[in-house]
Amino acid sequence: MNVRRIAVAVLAAAVAIALLAMSGIAFGHSPRELLSILISGSVGSNFALQGTLLKSIPLLLTGLSVAIAFRAGVWNIGGEGQFLAGALGAFLAARYGMIAAIAASLLAGAIWASIASAMRLWRNAPEVLTTILLNFIAIHLLGYAVNGPLQETSGKYPQSDAVPIAAMLPTLGASELHSGIILAIVAAIAAWFLLYRTAEGLRLRASGFNRNAAKWAGINVDAQLVRAMAISGAMAGLAGGIELLGVTHRLFERFAAGYGYAGIAVALLAQLHPLGTIASAFFFGALTTGAGELQRTAGISSTVATFGQAIVILVMIVFTRSVRSAGVSPAGVAASRRHGRAEER
Amino acid sequence: MTTQLLAAIPLAIVASTPLLLAVLGELVVERAGMINLGIEGMMLTAAMTAVITAQLTHSVMLGFLGGIAGAAIVGALFGLFALRFAADQIVTGTAIVLLAQGLTGFVYNGLQQNDIFNQPIPRLGIDVIVPLAWIIIPIALAFLLWRTQFGLRLRACGELPAAVTANGSSVAQHRWIALAIESVLAGLAGAYLALALSSGFAENMVAGRGFIALSIVIFGRWKFKGALLGTAVFGIAAAAQYALQASGRGVPFHLLLAVPYVVTLLILCGIAGRVRAPESLGKT
Repeated sequence: MNVRRIAVAVLAAAVAIALLAMSGIAFGHSPRELLSILISGSVGSNFALQGTLLKSIPLLLTGLSVAIAFRAGVWNIGGEGQFLAGALGAFLAARYGMIAAIAASLLAGAIWASIASAMRLWRNAPEVLTTILLNFIAIHLLGYAVNGPLQETSGKYPQSDAVPIAAMLPTLGASELHSGIILAIVAAIAAWFLLYRTAEGLRLRASGFNRNAAKWAGINVDAQLVRAMAISGAMAGLAGGIELLGVTHRLFERFAAGYGYAGIAVALLAQLHPLGTIASAFFFGALTTGAGELQRTAGISSTVATFGQAIVILVMIVFTRSVRSAGVSPAGVAASRRHGRAEER
Repeated sequence: MTTQLLAAIPLAIVASTPLLLAVLGELVVERAGMINLGIEGMMLTAAMTAVITAQLTHSVMLGFLGGIAGAAIVGALFGLFALRFAADQIVTGTAIVLLAQGLTGFVYNGLQQNDIFNQPIPRLGIDVIVPLAWIIIPIALAFLLWRTQFGLRLRACGELPAAVTANGSSVAQHRWIALAIESVLAGLAGAYLALALSSGFAENMVAGRGFIALSIVIFGRWKFKGALLGTAVFGIAAAAQYALQASGRGVPFHLLLAVPYVVTLLILCGIAGRVRAPESLGKT
């Protein structure tokens, strides 16, 4: 079973890459040329590999965020907003040091996501829409912050000052790679342990697998929803905090750069398995870095990376439609939406 | 402030026309039992294909048709996955939004050297879309859904698909037709956005209107009256935003940009009284 799931993922990734390479024909590039740029630009050199790993870190965390939420049957499409909330939280707490900043990013992401679960529980507002709307709100709040109260003291550009050096994540050796990669991998292992080795994880997965059955088994499914959303939001928030403390050191308007939405592709390619997410994040990190190289050398827009994410999701849908348990669609979600909360009580 | 608000209302009606078209389209699809998040991507693709067609043919009319064609291709892709492959609709919809963003960005940047996106676009002479969207289409669709046998079957696909099957009709066929109707409306919406409200295509120019449309469908309790009312409430909030901007009271520009999304959140939370969705909504 595991071998089969890995094979499916590898095949899906290969199909996506093949489609991507062929799409270059539209602009007069040979697929072979694009493929070689994509590979050399992502894993072909030490420098490229570092870039890929740097991109993989936030992707791993937003991927975990989606994997946990979807496993619990919660449609958190708000990774983008929670990523920004986390970065803002980390920035505000950075003066108290690195640990405080990281803790603040976790907390801010969880709080931002919890707005959606509160609205779901109290007003029955579907989280799939509220989380998306909260993304847009977070983007404009950040825009306001870096043009207003948090703008750099020189007031030159719409960006914040750099965080204090004491709050920055240390780099590993002489590389550009920062210690956030260790945090991200620890988070992946912790998420796996939570989901598959604890009673809480069993309750989360049970709620996602069949909400009604979970409820009849005595699980407080509303409380599970709140916790799943908070944990998921915390992961996306951590991604934002680590990106700020490890890479950019400043906030600016286009800070999120699609990491939140990309997390959905990362999680689905990993078939919602936390450890699979590590490999999946590396693949998408390579894709993003390779796409950047495509833009520089072949003049092809780096938005092909977004295109690639969509292709991977669609290919995964086709490949896994016979094996529903592989987890591209959490069962029970549609059922809970259909019946509404009134009948669940 | 009041006079400014009144002055902003006609502008708000025009500005929320693409949103209304999207709301109407999504309403039909959800009545047939599907949730199509991909409408955001349909509108974005339509905006691009409308501009390209209008530039190549120098005709606004054909531009709108081009928009509809673009939306239809994306709609067909959604149908292929959601209906043919019985895939999860939310996952499919999200993928389709990403696909549209990636593809339009790709084409937009690829054609930048070309004049298509830089030259002034042909303009609409008389704005027929506004009365079409606010009066004619809602009446026609309400008639279709509530006064015809076909409409009854289509709504049954959203409530109890098994009954449609038992009746000897095809659920998939009705849902495909619903998607086709949505494609026309989302195509008009995207084309109107690019050709009438803006002066051409810009990346991510739909800016969440598709998602806002989904929220308004819920607020309107899956009814056409509610859809018009919801879009009007939203439009008035938008008018207030323009008025506030014009009055120059020093509300920061970026916070004003967040207003539509905050209003939509409030609209979603305001539905309170346990709205009842079509029974089989989103079920694959």
